Order: sequence, then structure tokens, then C-alpha cells
Amino acid sequence: MRYAPCVPPFVTASPGISARPPDAGHLVGATWTEAPYPVLIVDRYGGLVEINEAARALLPGAASGDRLHEQVPSWLADAHQRVSGGQRGSSAGPLSGPIKGRHYEAHPTAAGDGDVVWWLVDDTDRRLAETALSDARTRTEILSDVSSTLLSTLNVSRCMEVAASLAAEHLADAAVLVAPRQGRRRPLAYANRGGPVSQVTRQVDVAGVPGLAEALQGFPPVPARWIDPVGLPDWVVPDGFAGPVGSVIVAPLPGHGVSAGALVLLRSSAEQCFTDGEEVFARLFAARAGTALSAARLYGEQANVTATLMRELLPPRLSSVHGVDYAGGYRAAKDHERVGGDFYDVHPGSDPSQDTLVVLGDVAGKGLDAAVLTGKIRNTLHALLPLTDDHQRVLNLLNGALLTSHHTRFATLVLASVRRRGTRARVRLTSAGHLPPLIVRADGKVEESATRGTLVGALPTVTANTVETTLAPGETCLLYTDGITEARGGPLGDELFGEHRLQRALSECAGLPAEAVVERVRMLASQWIGGGRHDDMAAVAVSVPRTGPLTVLNGTGARSSRRNT
Amino acid sequence: MTDLPLPEFTVTVLHEDTTLAVCVGGELDHDTSAGLVDTVVQHLTAEPVRLSDVRLDFRDLTWIDSTGLSALLMIHRRTTAVGATLHLDRRPDFLDRRLRLTNVLDHLTAQASRADPHGHRENDGCTGAGAT
Repeated sequence: MRYAPCVPPFVTASPGISARPPDAGHLVGATWTEAPYPVLIVDRYGGLVEINEAARALLPGAASGDRLHEQVPSWLADAHQRVSGGQRGSSAGPLSGPIKGRHYEAHPTAAGDGDVVWWLVDDTDRRLAETALSDARTRTEILSDVSSTLLSTLNVSRCMEVAASLAAEHLADAAVLVAPRQGRRRPLAYANRGGPVSQVTRQVDVAGVPGLAEALQGFPPVPARWIDPVGLPDWVVPDGFAGPVGSVIVAPLPGHGVSAGALVLLRSSAEQCFTDGEEVFARLFAARAGTALSAARLYGEQANVTATLMRELLPPRLSSVHGVDYAGGYRAAKDHERVGGDFYDVHPGSDPSQDTLVVLGDVAGKGLDAAVLTGKIRNTLHALLPLTDDHQRVLNLLNGALLTSHHTRFATLVLASVRRRGTRARVRLTSAGHLPPLIVRADGKVEESATRGTLVGALPTVTANTVETTLAPGETCLLYTDGITEARGGPLGDELFGEHRLQRALSECAGLPAEAVVERVRMLASQWIGGGRHDDMAAVAVSVPRTGPLTVLNGTGARSSRRNT
Repeated sequence: MTDLPLPEFTVTVLHEDTTLAVCVGGELDHDTSAGLVDTVVQHLTAEPVRLSDVRLDFRDLTWIDSTGLSALLMIHRRTTAVGATLHLDRRPDFLDRRLRLTNVLDHLTAQASRADPHGHRENDGCTGAGAT
């Protein structure tokens, strides 16, 4: 017996015996016929010489003497021609292809007389596993890409655009992102694959799309086969969608505790419908998109709340009231925050014979917490306006309103009641634990008012003394917070601006209008700080103009002069 | 003895008989105040003996802002609630100045009445869990 070169020893390549079953006594010959892999022995003319049990199971109709190309797919028959013709080179590529619904690798070995032994190895499962692995890798890559793209923006509209566009690119032919309702309408983002995203806000009937109303409430997605694409309302299909809708998936976008909307994925009828794997992937995608959208929405809401609060808490614009000039300046501790712990207000008297109340204060703490407390104080003081003849009583009532067992966050403030009398103004000043106001006389002398008192909001009772002074034309009373005197900076970077420096600066401000005094103080403090960090800074100047009231008072003056005549 | 290591801020607690001595160093401000209150309150509530005095030593204090003062007011509330007297020892000028400007020095250092700790009367519920 002889062995063909390169043929494993247990293969008997013997055309002479191929017409009958191999000899049972031939141990080696029996082995290949019982091999678990289909084996075909084919002669050089493409005739089946012999096939084993496994091959018979694979090709039930095949028998010795049949033509190969009648029994196997052309890829194998063609390969045999090439191999037996000696044409197979290394460039021929792997020999593999489908046979009867499964996938095989075909390994040829030459037997004697130009016969070829074909070994077929079933690699269907390996191929499936490889495909699944590669799909999973691709999806993971897409998901991570989706997350990083979506999370890089906190703008809801941009987030919707990106989510719709990515969904259309990776999951379907088109995607529609339906956001939670805003009033009666809903923001919608439409995307066709490869096309631009269009966003509209309109009233739509979500009940028209099966499962959409549920998805918007955060219920699990509806499988694609349950949705009849024929019944879809027009608003779901983006403009420019190619052909009729073939299949649809509705996936909820789970947010932080609440639904962030829903994603409708559409495929045209030309494309294959969604597989289970694709539905799962769509759900994963939706989870990521939902998280990002929800984060963006929460951020947007918070930014909105802050903006609303800020509008309420921003210091007012000041002007002249009843012949006295008022000017205020404010700079929050962090330059990107516009509100903080310092505050001021000017409550004009109802007529020139009534006091105008100026309040300037400072709440312990920084940021929004402090800003909310300043809002409370400003509102309370506004309500207490009728009682401002008695500053101490106002402070006691305010103290009672602020006192709480939860914290000892307190406020220090100055009350100034101002009334014009002839060319001068009478000013009553009361400090509640605050830096006493400074008075700049016409000759440049700077006086510190002698009012002292207890901070408000932390102790059961407060005391304070009120001092009275008169401002002549050109004189200014400056109310300020410690953010100015405690501004750290200067040539060494860690020195306090200090009261002396402030007083010296003010002595040069004699005769200046209120606005100029505040601006000067603010400028000096800012220069002192340079780029360093600082607390909130606020200042209000009350000054009596040098000239008569009627010539400088613009609109307000015109009104009051009418009233006077 | 406990050390609370915070950058540029230290709280050292010494306990003798019925006196709790707390040495505060560094800047008592927005970032560090809560730590001081927590430390003192922890000791106030953890001590098996009833404390008669709480002494805050400010020898190494370098700065205090309004939040720091707010923390002192809270510590005072908590010490009077347990009938202990608060002492503010070795106060630097800036602290003294701030305490006098806001008129709380007398309040903070008033002798606590042991029989009827007025902290209970004036601040009902301030010893509750939400007091920080």
C-alpha cells in the first residue's frame, strides 16, 4: 500500500476500491469513513469517487459516480477544478462557503491519480461567534462614542440634535427624538441618515404612535413587530425620508428619575427590519442618550432657576430721589456669579417729605445660599418700611423674622433714612453689626459715623443706636461692605485694603457726585485685588448735589417740582 | 486629643475634667468653619461627663470671616444648650474687632446658667440633628 504525499496516513487513496465500501478489516481505511467531518474523494474529472458517512449526511443524495457540481455548491465545484487543474496558488484565498445552510471550510489534499480528497470543516458556529464579537465590539465603540459625544454638551437642544443624528447614523434610516412636553407642545428632533437634523416644537398626538405615550412615561420599549408602520402619523416621518416606512422601534429615553423623552427609529421598507440584537442595542443607545439629555435638562433647569433668582436678587439701579443722589456698585465674590451675600436697596419715600430708606448689608456665607437669605432680608425690610421712623424696632422685627434654630447664618446691615431739607439732607444712620458708614465732608474730611449695633438673625435680641447727621451740598455718605476693606492684594498680594486706605481715597472724592464716588471706590478696590480672590463687595453713596435740585433732577425732579407747585 | 488636618487650618482638642479646650489655628472661614463646629459638637455630645466650660483658644488664628463668626455663634448655641460656658481665649485683634463691631462678644462669653441653660429657652430645637 502506498501513501500519497501530504495525505495523512489514515487516508487510503485507492481509486481501485472506491466502487465498494472499504474493507472493514482495513483499520486505516475505516477511520476516514467514520471521521466526524465530511470527506469527499473526487477524481480529476469532477466525479465523486467516494464519500464518507458524515458527507452522506450532509449531501443525502450523493453517491459514488455522481458529478461533483451536481451535488455541491459551485464554490466547491469550482475550487475542485482549480485544484485538480493545478491552478490553486496562494492567492486563491481561503476555500470556504455555504453548503445546505451551514458554512464550511474546504481543505483539499491530493491523492494518487489526480484524485483530490476534500475535507470539509464546519465553521458555522465559529463564524457566528466571530460576527457576534465584532458586532459587540462595534456597538461598544459606538456606545462609548455616543456617550462621550453626548455628555460633552450641556445644551439640551444640541444634545437632542446629536442624539437624533447618531441614532440615524448607527441604528436606523431615520430617527425622531420626542422630548418631554413643554406646555402643550413638544420639542422634536428629526434626522435622516447622513442628513442635517431639524428641530421643531409643535403640538403632536403621541397616542398615534403605538407605545410612544408609554415610552414617554418611561415604560419598556415596544418590540418593532408590534408597530404597524402603515398606521404611523405623518408627523413621525421626517421630511425627505426615502420610501415608505418598513419597520419602527419606539425606545424610551430613561432620565434621572423621570423620562427624558423617547426615540422613534424608522427603517424604510427596502431595508431589513430590526433584529432582536438591534432592538437591544437601540435600548442601550437610548439609555445613554437619555442620561445625557436628562443631565442637560437638569442643568438647564438649574441654570434657569439661578437666572430667575438672580433677576430677583440683583442689586437695583439707583438714581436720584427727591433731590438726593444715590449710586450703588456691586461685585460678587466669584465674577461668574452675579449674586452673592452683599445687597443694597433704596426705597424712595412716597413724597419728598418722607424718608427714603437706604439698606446695605452683608450676609454671612457666599453664593446662592447667601443670596437667598439676602432676598428674605430685602423682602422683610420692604414690608417693614412704614416702621422705619424707628430703626431699632425695624431691626428687632427683622431679627425675629430671620431667627431660626437650623443655622446661625446672620446678616450685618446699615439702615439710612434720608430726607432732603432745603439745600441739605438729614440722614439717620443705624448699623446692625455692620461697618459704620463714612461721611465725606465738602472740605475732604472723612468722618466715621458713631452708630453701633448687633448683627441680625442669630441672637434672640438685638440692640443698636441710631445717629443723625446732615449732608451739605457736595457731601457724601458712603455705605460699604467689608469686602472692600478686606480686599486682599496690594504690592505684596496679601495685604488688606483697609479702612485707612478707603478713608484716604474718599477724602479725595469731596464734591464728586455719588456715582463717581462709588466708581472710584470700586476701581481702587479692584486694582488692589488685581487677579486675586475676593469676597462680595458692595457700596452705596448718598450725596447731596452741589447745585439746586431743580436743575439736576431730570425726570424725577420734574415730577416732584410739579407736585411742589 | 484629636487632630483635624486641613490645609492651613488646625483644630486641636484637649479634654480635662469638665473643660473642653479647643485650639483653633489658621483661617476660620467659609471652607473651614463647618469642620470646627462638627468637631466641637462631637465632643460636646460624646463626653460622658457634663462639661462646664468650653475654651476656644485663638492664639494661632490668622483670619476669621463672617462664616467663621457664624460658626462661633453656632458653637455658643450648642455649648449653652448643654449648660457649658463658652470662653474665647487669646483673641487676636482682628477677631476682637469683629466681635465688637457685630456686638456679639458679650453674648458669646456670657456665663451659662447651669440650672436653667437659657440655650434651651432661646433656641428651642437647636440641639436637634438639623442644627448644623
